[in-house]
Amino acid sequence: MDPVSKVSDYRKLEESVTLSTVEGPLGASGSDGASTELFTLNMGPHHPATHGVLRLLVTLEGEVVRDLKPIIGYLHTGIEKTAETKSYWKVIPVIERMDYLAYFFNSMAYCGAVETLLEVEVPKRAQYLRVIHMELNRIMSHLVWLGTAALDLGAMSMFWYCFRERETILDLFEQSTGQRMHTRYFQIGGVIEDIPVGFAAKLKYLTDEMPRRITQYEALLTKNEIVLQRLRNVGVVDEKTLLGLGVTGPLLRATGNPWDLRKAAPYCSYDDFDFKIPVGTVGDNYDRYRVRTAEMRESVKIIEQAMEGLPEGPHITEDRKIALPPRHELATSMEALIHHFKLVTEGFRVPAGEAYHPIESPRGELGCFVRSDGSSKPARVHMRDPSFVNLQSLSTMVEGSYIADLIATLAMLDPIIGGVDR
Amino acid sequence: MTPWNPGEDVIAVQRGPEPGGAGGAYRSFGETLRGLKTTFARVIEGTNTIQYPEEKVPVYPRFRGRHKLHRFEDTGLEKCVGCSLCAAACPSDCIRVVASENDPENRVSAGERYAAVYEINLSRCIFCGYCEIACPFDAITMGHDYEMSDYNRSDLIFTKEMLLAEPIDRTPLRNEGE
Repeated sequence: MDPVSKVSDYRKLEESVTLSTVEGPLGASGSDGASTELFTLNMGPHHPATHGVLRLLVTLEGEVVRDLKPIIGYLHTGIEKTAETKSYWKVIPVIERMDYLAYFFNSMAYCGAVETLLEVEVPKRAQYLRVIHMELNRIMSHLVWLGTAALDLGAMSMFWYCFRERETILDLFEQSTGQRMHTRYFQIGGVIEDIPVGFAAKLKYLTDEMPRRITQYEALLTKNEIVLQRLRNVGVVDEKTLLGLGVTGPLLRATGNPWDLRKAAPYCSYDDFDFKIPVGTVGDNYDRYRVRTAEMRESVKIIEQAMEGLPEGPHITEDRKIALPPRHELATSMEALIHHFKLVTEGFRVPAGEAYHPIESPRGELGCFVRSDGSSKPARVHMRDPSFVNLQSLSTMVEGSYIADLIATLAMLDPIIGGVDR
Repeated sequence: MTPWNPGEDVIAVQRGPEPGGAGGAYRSFGETLRGLKTTFARVIEGTNTIQYPEEKVPVYPRFRGRHKLHRFEDTGLEKCVGCSLCAAACPSDCIRVVASENDPENRVSAGERYAAVYEINLSRCIFCGYCEIACPFDAITMGHDYEMSDYNRSDLIFTKEMLLAEPIDRTPLRNEGE
């Protein structure tokens, strides 16, 4: 059919629709007289409750969700492809912009994969600094989740409280890295700068304050009758189904499976710290809420331990073939200047091979796959983003429940569309 | 394959009470009052917001705002020698440098060459600060301005003169260690 008549046919159809009341709507009515008509609702992409530009095609029967199909791709940025055209160190600021609430994790996964290929030793101090920033990032990400999820349930003040604490954390990021978000602080072989004077004191203030604040959030939410009614026994999915779908992170831990890569496959000196893995029992929305708030407390503990045991030493590897020479050497050493020019213009070459580096992001297993062909640019960069995988479990969570619970479940799922679409 | 066992490192979170019933009727009042106590106790903590356009947030010394090009203070010559290392380091390709030979009679920069054209497209810039790291002469640094919005995209392409000039309105800056 030629496209012009296709459009005009559609217009004719559109004009034929009247707004008068329809007697006996389409579809047979049930024996009790109630309509069993199915109804397809398009939710999003621009809808505040979808936490980004996510489109959900929901098939409803009355108020009950019968089928759900997430349609993704509205925030596709082509970052993985962009990464192939840039030298290894220039990929870092780009790849941080995928999951925009877990930027330290994105760069950690990527740097970890490249470091595996290069077989470079990361200094202990750099590892501890990375842990401090990642755990701060985890608290920050969970705060955004808690604030927006509570906002979806109608708890407005939670949003302001969470964003107040988030602001303190972003302030710390600005102090140590120079930017509040997308900091490019992690570099291959370490971190780009040591923490500044005064950072430790501010961090101490936050770690002292944070448990008290979390207690306040819990006083507001944990036993609140509305929260209980909206979350408890809603969106229950058992462990086996979630494992079949490949779901990781707090969603899986809420069902009682203690899978946490920080413990299961320690990276970045996580085995130096003493912390617990909070797990739920049933795997409903309430368990998800409890697991995440408990995780924030554990993160505070990790930060305190890392700050206390912060070892002295270099903050980035001394290997001049990978890390830029210190600035003061540029004026005195010709060799340093040559290394600097070489690293900035061409970058370092990475031996051919493949590496996959999984880490535990706030949403689950975030893995970065890097394939190198021996040149100074990666041949392929792929991210296994937990939001993308976790989103697949949404339809199993909400089928048969009310559409109002769909909103609550989506909020408790915590998908970040920047990570889903990449 | 046996599943991985974390041993002692697991804590089970509390389940919370079953909603509804007599407990639910109590919680509708009791827990709501507890919540109200929590919110009202926050009132004495004061406000956390600031009146933005009048009042500005001071930035930290490491903050990366709008770029600045520098001159030598004694001679007034530009520090930039047009080596294009910043353009090579830029991940978003927003810097354009065209170098020229210096005229010995009328020098622009201290080196052999100078940047005849130096443009930064701020609508492309992602403020990663790689240009600052790449520059071997400290000719370009990230300043502290964060108010850069404009009505036209073409106005966001900053030329060398604009980058060399002092910003009209200075952003408040925190001291080191503050």
